[in-house]
Amino acid sequence: MRRSQIVSLLLAVIIGFGSLVGVIVAGWVPVLGVQLQGGVEVLLRPTAPADDEQLDRAIEIIRSRVDALGVAEPDITRQGNQVVVQLPGVKDKQRAVDLVGQTAELRFRPVLLTFNPFDEVDFSGAQQLAEAYNGSLHPESVDESDSGAAEDELVGEQEMTAQELLELIDPEAAAELDAESADAAAVDDTSETAGATDDAEAEEIDPSDIGSEQILDFTAPEDDLADWAVLLPGRGEPVGYVLGPAELTGEAVSEAAATFNNEWVVNVDLTDEGAVGFDQIAARYFGQQVAIVLDGVVESAPVIRAAEFGGTAVISGTFDEEGARDLAVALRFGALPVVFEQDDVRTVSATLGEGTLRAGVVAGIVGLIIVGIYMLVYYRLLGIVAVASLAISGSILWSLISWLGESRGLALTLAGTTGIIVSIGVQVDSNIVYYERIKEEVRRGRAIRSAADASFRGAFSTIVWADLASLIGAGVLYQLTSGTVRGFALYLGLATLIDLAVSYFFMRPLVVFIARKLVNEEPRRLGVLGGTDDAATAAAVTGGAT
Amino acid sequence: MISALRTFYRGENSWDILGVSRKVLVGSAVAVLICVVALFVRGLNLGIEFEGGSVWEIPIPASAQDADGDAASGSAADGLTTDDIAAAAADAGVPDARVQLVTVTGSENIFRVRGVLGPDVSAVEVNAALASAADVDVESLSTRQVSPSFGDEVAGKARRALVVFFVLIALYLWFRFEWKMSVGALVAVVHDIVLTVGAYALFGFEVTPATVVAFLTIMGYSLYDTIVVFDRVKSNERSLPARSHFTYAALANVSLNQVLTRSVNTSITSVLPVLSMLIVGAGFLGAGTLSEFATALLIGLLAGSYSSIFVAMPTVAWLKGYEPGWAAAQVAADAAGRHDSMEAATQALAAENYTRSAPPRPRKPRRSRNQRRR
Repeated sequence: MRRSQIVSLLLAVIIGFGSLVGVIVAGWVPVLGVQLQGGVEVLLRPTAPADDEQLDRAIEIIRSRVDALGVAEPDITRQGNQVVVQLPGVKDKQRAVDLVGQTAELRFRPVLLTFNPFDEVDFSGAQQLAEAYNGSLHPESVDESDSGAAEDELVGEQEMTAQELLELIDPEAAAELDAESADAAAVDDTSETAGATDDAEAEEIDPSDIGSEQILDFTAPEDDLADWAVLLPGRGEPVGYVLGPAELTGEAVSEAAATFNNEWVVNVDLTDEGAVGFDQIAARYFGQQVAIVLDGVVESAPVIRAAEFGGTAVISGTFDEEGARDLAVALRFGALPVVFEQDDVRTVSATLGEGTLRAGVVAGIVGLIIVGIYMLVYYRLLGIVAVASLAISGSILWSLISWLGESRGLALTLAGTTGIIVSIGVQVDSNIVYYERIKEEVRRGRAIRSAADASFRGAFSTIVWADLASLIGAGVLYQLTSGTVRGFALYLGLATLIDLAVSYFFMRPLVVFIARKLVNEEPRRLGVLGGTDDAATAAAVTGGAT
Repeated sequence: MISALRTFYRGENSWDILGVSRKVLVGSAVAVLICVVALFVRGLNLGIEFEGGSVWEIPIPASAQDADGDAASGSAADGLTTDDIAAAAADAGVPDARVQLVTVTGSENIFRVRGVLGPDVSAVEVNAALASAADVDVESLSTRQVSPSFGDEVAGKARRALVVFFVLIALYLWFRFEWKMSVGALVAVVHDIVLTVGAYALFGFEVTPATVVAFLTIMGYSLYDTIVVFDRVKSNERSLPARSHFTYAALANVSLNQVLTRSVNTSITSVLPVLSMLIVGAGFLGAGTLSEFATALLIGLLAGSYSSIFVAMPTVAWLKGYEPGWAAAQVAADAAGRHDSMEAATQALAAENYTRSAPPRPRKPRRSRNQRRR
């Protein structure tokens, strides 16, 4: 046995089981898809053609809404011009479907109060103000608000944690806090937030003082109604806003662009109707802040500096280039929001999901055991290699799926599971092709130890060519389809690649090892019947033809 | 029978597989014909993913079920029947809903309601109505709503992927082997797909994306099997001296016999997990999607193993028979009164392989060059 083969055998075992141990130690497990653990899956298609920028913005909006649902592994991806939203394990399925389908609207709302969202006293004061305001706006709701349930309708509870708010304000600082809070260390310099508006009220906050899991009761997405006062967080600044009913919507905007003129500003062009409406607002709130709100987040809250605008407005402030561009995109998006049609809505109950998962797992294990037994009975010692190859492939696949789930949020779907069960067949077949070649050579009278080595080249070529056909299939399907079929193609392709690697780096050296050390030139140990000496084998060869 | 198995296990089989295939192919042709007719007459029972519409799955706990579990008559909990559920659906705004009692397992039954939402009916209301009719929690329902246009798109995409796949595979086999083998492989794959799809039409199984996945798997397996067979034929053809002592059919026959053990074993090991999926997964634990999938796979796998031996290779042998060299060999064999020159091929191959593999380090390239010069 050549040294390189021993090395490759050892490496295969180390990589195979090492990765499995690594994944287990890291606590990674495969993320289960909607069909396997229950949840919601929605396929959205824009009713009108939308460009990339708009779709990306829409996805961002959906993502932030979904965060409010507290889903562990939301998966929101674009496939062509469609958006696939997968929310495995989501509790309130109907609410999830509604939220995902809602059209985002850009609204101009007057600012009633700004407050420090990390200060509980400030927060409850702001809540009371919003409730009082709504009470006067909608007196009919006050009658019911005696009961606790109705109160939720005034200011709904969005279960946003302080950590999530921080991410909205300053993603970098949030990530830092997340990391630091794990170490239980205090930090002072995480409050470097990018000031975006001309509002200087932003206080220095020290996020390390607050628990990142503190719940902040901002207005829930479904309660963010145009004619109610709401409590919303700001983007890029640690400020909470109490906002009055919307005065104007994004329809008023015809165009918005970020330009550099000594500093970054956003130029806004208004439609003819919008210009009239905007001037009305300007007159009423002169000197006060008016918030630009896109889907529950205050993008900016500039102070109105003129009483009349005449169709164009300039928003200036301490923008950096990115901030200005983001605001311009938000305004443009608001002018022409992407309206989605729900092409395919699927909810799976947790029990059905679990049942399917259990069925799949049990079926997979039973299938593996039966195949293992068959291989052991038929190929004897070589059957051990087949079982070991399956174990190595299995652990590599498990690690890979866990890693994909952890790093990419890629869920293991039902179709993916079947792809894997199918790949058991492919893996075992590679073994069979090789073993049959060995047996053939041995029947012809070749010594087993040399047959094991010599048969591999021909067998591996067959395996490669056949696997290549599988890979072509998987590649085409992955590229040209979506949803179920795509998931299947992905896992079939992965499993096929693993099969190739395991065949070459693990199966071959192990077979050679067994042929040299354990078989002792007794073909029976490989399940080869017939003569053991050359004369008998020769007789078998010619005997078969007569 | 036992002796045949023994011969097989010892690898001593040298059966006239091509000869057998001529008889078997009649059966194949009849089966394909039946499937095509079924496809046209009965059509496919397309799932909502392709047609649009709505599906509700309502689990009924077994505790609420009649002791004798008269699932066959379509009733489950407390005498709750499919008709009751259909009536509830109609009241909620889903007229003409089709209700089935689909899965019967140890723990629960599932009413499956399929229909189209009436105009101005929200899915939420129907969810609530169905849940209260069956006296279960709304959250335990599984639902799905698909818009009609979406189905067209899915089907269109699948069709396009299939065409691209066929073209690429044909080119691949042409590049790797020869175009006649591309034809053989595609004929075999089409044969398998027609049989599987035909079975779906015959039994009225619902075609879902999972089924499409199954069809694709079948194609993959079938091709894989076929490539293994072709690979052997090609390598045998290359290693033979260019003496026309035997026909292409004989060469094919010998090669088929050589890979038969592999084909049978691979089929068995591929079918075992699928059978386990069908029996354990679907039978005992009750997962509808799994059982549909497994059924399609099982039919397709068996068809695939069969076709790689009995359809793909005979097609290639038939096409090759028209090549001048092989045609001459056939004429010579007929003239000598040897309709079957398999024996000669077996011996020539055995001798050739034997000498080739006997030296400790066979140098294949040089040898083959010498042969060509001869």
